[in-house]
Amino acid sequence: MAVANDLGMVPAPAQTTPTGPTLRALFAERDRLTRDTGHYCGVTELTLRDADPIKYERFYNKLHAAVLAARESARFVAASPGSREMGECLWGITTPEGDTLAVSLGFLSHTAIFPVAVRYMANNDYDVNDGIEDGDVYAVSDGKTGGVPHPGDFYSFVPICVEGEIAGWAVGINHLMENGAPVAGSWATFSVDTFMDGLVCPPMRTGRKLKQESWWKAIWERRTRASTMNILDDKMRLAGCAMIHHATHRLIDEFGLQYYKRAIREVIEESRRMIVDNMRALMVPGLYNGCAFRLVKYAGLQNVWSHANKNTLIHIRASVEPNENGLLLDTEGSSRWGYHSYNATPGGVDCAVFLGMINSFAHNTKVTAGIELAVQRHYAYGSIYNPDYEFTSNANLWAQTVSVNSIGFNAVSRAAFARGYLEEAFTVDGNWGAFQGAGTTADGSSYGFTNFEWLGGTGRGAWCYKDGEPLVWAAWSQIATIGDAEEFESCVPPLFYLGRKLLPGYFGYGKYRGGPGNSAVHWCVQPGKHIALTRPNGGLSCTASVGLGMSGAYPGPGSFMISARGTNLPELIAEGETPRDARELLEQIDAGRLTVKNLEIWKTDCPELALKDHDLFVDAAGSSGGWGDPLDRDPALVIKDLNDGMAPRYAFVSRMHGVVAAQDASGVWQLDTAATTAKRAELKRQRLAESIPAEAWWQAERTKVVNKDMVPEVHEMYAQSLSFAKFDGEFRRFWQVPADFAFARE
Amino acid sequence: MTDDSGISKELIAQLIAGQIDDDNATRLQRLPRKDKDRFFKYIEVLQQRAPWPEQILLRLGDKLFVVRNARNERVVKCECGKEFGDYRQNWKLACRIRTRRTLPEMLEVYDPAPACPEPGWQEIREFFCPDCATQHAVEVVAPGYPVVFEMLPDLDKFYRDYLDRPLPDEAPTWYADHTEVVTRTWASLVH
Repeated sequence: MAVANDLGMVPAPAQTTPTGPTLRALFAERDRLTRDTGHYCGVTELTLRDADPIKYERFYNKLHAAVLAARESARFVAASPGSREMGECLWGITTPEGDTLAVSLGFLSHTAIFPVAVRYMANNDYDVNDGIEDGDVYAVSDGKTGGVPHPGDFYSFVPICVEGEIAGWAVGINHLMENGAPVAGSWATFSVDTFMDGLVCPPMRTGRKLKQESWWKAIWERRTRASTMNILDDKMRLAGCAMIHHATHRLIDEFGLQYYKRAIREVIEESRRMIVDNMRALMVPGLYNGCAFRLVKYAGLQNVWSHANKNTLIHIRASVEPNENGLLLDTEGSSRWGYHSYNATPGGVDCAVFLGMINSFAHNTKVTAGIELAVQRHYAYGSIYNPDYEFTSNANLWAQTVSVNSIGFNAVSRAAFARGYLEEAFTVDGNWGAFQGAGTTADGSSYGFTNFEWLGGTGRGAWCYKDGEPLVWAAWSQIATIGDAEEFESCVPPLFYLGRKLLPGYFGYGKYRGGPGNSAVHWCVQPGKHIALTRPNGGLSCTASVGLGMSGAYPGPGSFMISARGTNLPELIAEGETPRDARELLEQIDAGRLTVKNLEIWKTDCPELALKDHDLFVDAAGSSGGWGDPLDRDPALVIKDLNDGMAPRYAFVSRMHGVVAAQDASGVWQLDTAATTAKRAELKRQRLAESIPAEAWWQAERTKVVNKDMVPEVHEMYAQSLSFAKFDGEFRRFWQVPADFAFARE
Repeated sequence: MTDDSGISKELIAQLIAGQIDDDNATRLQRLPRKDKDRFFKYIEVLQQRAPWPEQILLRLGDKLFVVRNARNERVVKCECGKEFGDYRQNWKLACRIRTRRTLPEMLEVYDPAPACPEPGWQEIREFFCPDCATQHAVEVVAPGYPVVFEMLPDLDKFYRDYLDRPLPDEAPTWYADHTEVVTRTWASLVH
């Protein structure tokens, strides 16, 4: 394809089969030099930078400008709102081995997969057997071979070949609106294995000379439900790659191939050093632990695939330990993989881990593969992060891997707090939500969709010195935006917004509260022949976002949804007052104003929900955790929340924060200072009266553990996690159970 | 803020007290490199605020510190003065614990109701100082989950390698998790 842009027309690349070292040889040399020297590709001195720093920075800025320009131009080729309006896309330029040199704005941690996919091509002799030529186009969406988090994230790779060698790769990524799984949307929530994950592509050539083959269009049309958007997104990715391809050729023409080949190694080594230095500047050495949980409720919903017809409580466990070369993130003790959609591959969980690590440690340097060298990862083989089964489903891994990021990121926050860099210390959550599905209009037109809105922006957790903010946080992108309601309405013809707003009171409480989450009310109007939806989520409210609150605060609650089917909504519309969020919906039901024949509140993943005229689908997501003891909250802030409507239930916050207030004649809340002091003292007495010493608590809890007095899913969770030595040791040391104590695995 | 090379103790005190203005907080966040001497200024400010004389070695939480006490031990200490024991043992095991297991109990701390964790699958643990009742930590975990040791600092490495001011009692054996000393003692009482 030819792309018109401010760089001019991109010429069709010449057919130049590489004759230089094979990819396999390049990887061997890269790995050997890096391992033996401790420096990326053996670069112990930054000779080009030191000899002529201006030239060196000019070189890098041109690379960086190429990927930035690719995003800012190419996304306007696309149709999907997730890519055009939001942060759900990215372009990058890499070394021949796929190591990142520069990335655009967007979901930056996806750089983690680039070397995985290229290494697979190297190990399988793509360049030797088939030939890799300048301007070829490869599609990648497989976790096992391509390192892709989930197949809803789709990648295009374009090799850049010069003088018979692969000089690098241009890469474009975006989150599809629909990827053709049995569960419609882009996170197939009820997949059992990879064969239910939709369009899954190991690295495969789909085009040549910067142009896709004709058959590739047919794949989108026949194997996905949103082919128009997916084809345009495919063009978007390729258009950006073509721009990067063109710019890199021009760069090599200007600087020379030898300069380029040395400079790309120095760029990565330079950023690795800077990242390690930043870690030392911000962290306190030691061991940081965190945990989270994510429920998979499949029992009763997977009767066709009986081996998957069970509930699973996923245990997410991670530790962070700084060392001389950066830090080690270890997930040993997390659950084993399962017949559900929440498994990851190492590349996929890397994408999550690097979110916080890039944000924390690469903020003042070049964003390159240096982060991958500075953050060492241990994903135990057989675990949910490194399955010993090759066909696991990865369709919805983000629903739990985002917690790995939160644990790692919160370790950085704890360290920054301990060192006095309080301006960097805040509670990290990743409580995203979205909904997805498919429908057929009255005229027989079929469509698939994903509404990304609560993935685009969530509440940011509390800082250690002030409340968190609404909507500004998206750990997976620099561009927090929930997108335009009208865009999403246009993608899903029968669904209209009745409300879209912050949800008062929906956050983790503390001295400082988290940024509030969001809620929307979707109204189904004339659905035609059919519409049905499901909802993936980065954690559902049957478990909190993360397991540990910060400094005495409560972790942010998870997301939830409500389906209200068979309503009297036309009557409410006639009266002019319809619900705008989840809380208002429940209040109107309780008050008898809104009647619902089939009301369901979902704290776990909902099965496919078919909607009829005037049915409502209501969701809530994006909450975040607090910081500090709730009884230390400035009473004036409680009063402000009451008067702003952010604290809708006085009795709740009065007990939470020990604040006594009353509304004056104007309805304005006023603090009773003396009564507040007394209430706080009383609540502290109550804390002591209702608690027991840790030793007594331990004795009582240990008895339950020894007797395995727990629901079957918790029992199975321990059986899985104790199959890994690290957590087994911790568990045994903590509970002092007999040597023959064990949880039987199913 | 004083100048580019130094952050004043007044500003640090404002941060600690939650009184810093947004402009200054943003300026601190945008420092290209963090001010290296922040830690010792921070400790100075914290020491001035503390109602006791023991030397603060590290701040673990809003009101929780690792200090060197009068017996020259490194212990965790609450702002109120309560000592929680050797910093290498999980200080949560010196707290009083309130556990919320039922929906009504959980509804007192999560709102609205559908946002509440699911009893049976999860429980909420609140860790209080036995003396002043400060809530130092909250865990929302599965029943039977070992109490999490959130952060075990390697103080000697920190002071020697990161801060260039080695502790006088540094030793290679300090950095180790000694929590089992507590649980083993408790277990001996069971048997």
